[in-house]
Amino acid sequence: MATKTVESVVSPREPHFVGDGFRVHNFIPSAYRLDMKRMDPIIMMDYNSKYYFAPSEIPKGVGVHPHRGFETVTIAYKGKVEHHDSAGGGGVIGEGDVQWMTAASGVLHKEFHEKEWSKKGGEFQMVQLWVNLPAKDKMSVPKYQSIENATMSRYTLENDQGEVEVIAGEYQGVKGAASTFTPLHLLNAKLKKGATARFNFPAGFNTALLVIEGGIKVNGTEEAPTDHFVLMANEGEEFSLEATEDAVVLVMSGEPINEPIAAHGPFVMNTRQELLQAFDDFNKGKFGYLED
Amino acid sequence: MNNLRFTTYLTSNIGTDKAVLEQLLSHCSIREFKKGEFLLSQGEKCRYSFFVERGLLRQFSIDDKGKEHIIQFAPENWFMSDRESVYFDRPSSYFMQALEDTVTFLLDENLFLELSKSDTAFLEFNNRLLHNHIRHLQRRITQLQSATAEERYLDFIRMYPDLLLRVPQIFVASYLGITPESLSRVRKELARKNR
Repeated sequence: MATKTVESVVSPREPHFVGDGFRVHNFIPSAYRLDMKRMDPIIMMDYNSKYYFAPSEIPKGVGVHPHRGFETVTIAYKGKVEHHDSAGGGGVIGEGDVQWMTAASGVLHKEFHEKEWSKKGGEFQMVQLWVNLPAKDKMSVPKYQSIENATMSRYTLENDQGEVEVIAGEYQGVKGAASTFTPLHLLNAKLKKGATARFNFPAGFNTALLVIEGGIKVNGTEEAPTDHFVLMANEGEEFSLEATEDAVVLVMSGEPINEPIAAHGPFVMNTRQELLQAFDDFNKGKFGYLED
Repeated sequence: MNNLRFTTYLTSNIGTDKAVLEQLLSHCSIREFKKGEFLLSQGEKCRYSFFVERGLLRQFSIDDKGKEHIIQFAPENWFMSDRESVYFDRPSSYFMQALEDTVTFLLDENLFLELSKSDTAFLEFNNRLLHNHIRHLQRRITQLQSATAEERYLDFIRMYPDLLLRVPQIFVASYLGITPESLSRVRKELARKNR
């Protein structure tokens, strides 16, 4: 087994607001060399770094918008989000929870700070990923997977060094609850200061880390502070994370789908024709209807 | 300059030689407007035709009661100008505003006139541009006089396929000359029919 090395450590870009409720740094696809292909099947990553929202009677968030052709994965580290969709679904994503929404053939949804949380305000920290779907599954039926923190699969590290939450895929034989369309590992490594965790993914998988809390050293050499993104090289399999202080790290590794991408706004398809169809279907109400 | 929408637009729409295009390009400037910034206010003279390279503009008037009426949107590859103000040298009745961070090419009216005199291909292009504009406006008048809200909406989404994802519905309603409630009704009804 060869060591998987660090390709680059990416600083967060200047944040922008999505609606009025999410203050995010975009890493994928806008950071240098992090276009939609580089981390395929992860084609978008917005990171709301820890940010204080003042109390608000009217919940902040993003109004009704559509998605087609991929999945959105929302990981709540701090704060609470409430969501509703055109199929009548809805729910609350609480602290530590993950919502895996397969938009596939199309949903309309809206996401706002949860009502009671919004009234109190507080620190808010979330990651949203878009996970691409292979062509054959792009028009499949939309679905949700709610992965609550209380019942999330966990691997406990030896000697009280921390734990690894397994959202999807696998870590040391522990399997995550989320089902995925293509092989993908999504883990939260919660490491105590000085702890080391080892990871092993196939060389060809696109692999990256996001430092949510604290700081880490990768392979004993490359340091990555809070809110930084670490892109791993597509060579070698093994790497280690050492927490230089108590740390939380989102670890992502997936097998590339390697299909053409035609993307515009909230639609990610394979061809331009399919994109135009998506706009037309949306405009004509084929995604259903949802009140603002 | 070759990977710009503007140059692609020009080369595919003007059957003129390279030299004229070069001349045109060398005389127009690029300007960026931040989201919310105004390109023109009522009472000012409009000096340019704006070609949208990236972003989105709206042109609107404000009536005596303070209500806004959107006359046109200009996403990528569209021109926006107040022809009356530019050509007849009159104060404009309109506002132009960037709805997103927008990059525009500014085309000076004198340049249009000069090139039209010296180059027949350009004259033909400018003619076509103007007539296209007139056709668009006539269509708008007929629609506002006689089309149902649903017909106006269906025409709108043909003309501007991605705008519903870029502007608030209240702007779309303003453009269509209907209330936001009735736009919402139209969309709900379409969703019911097409589901």
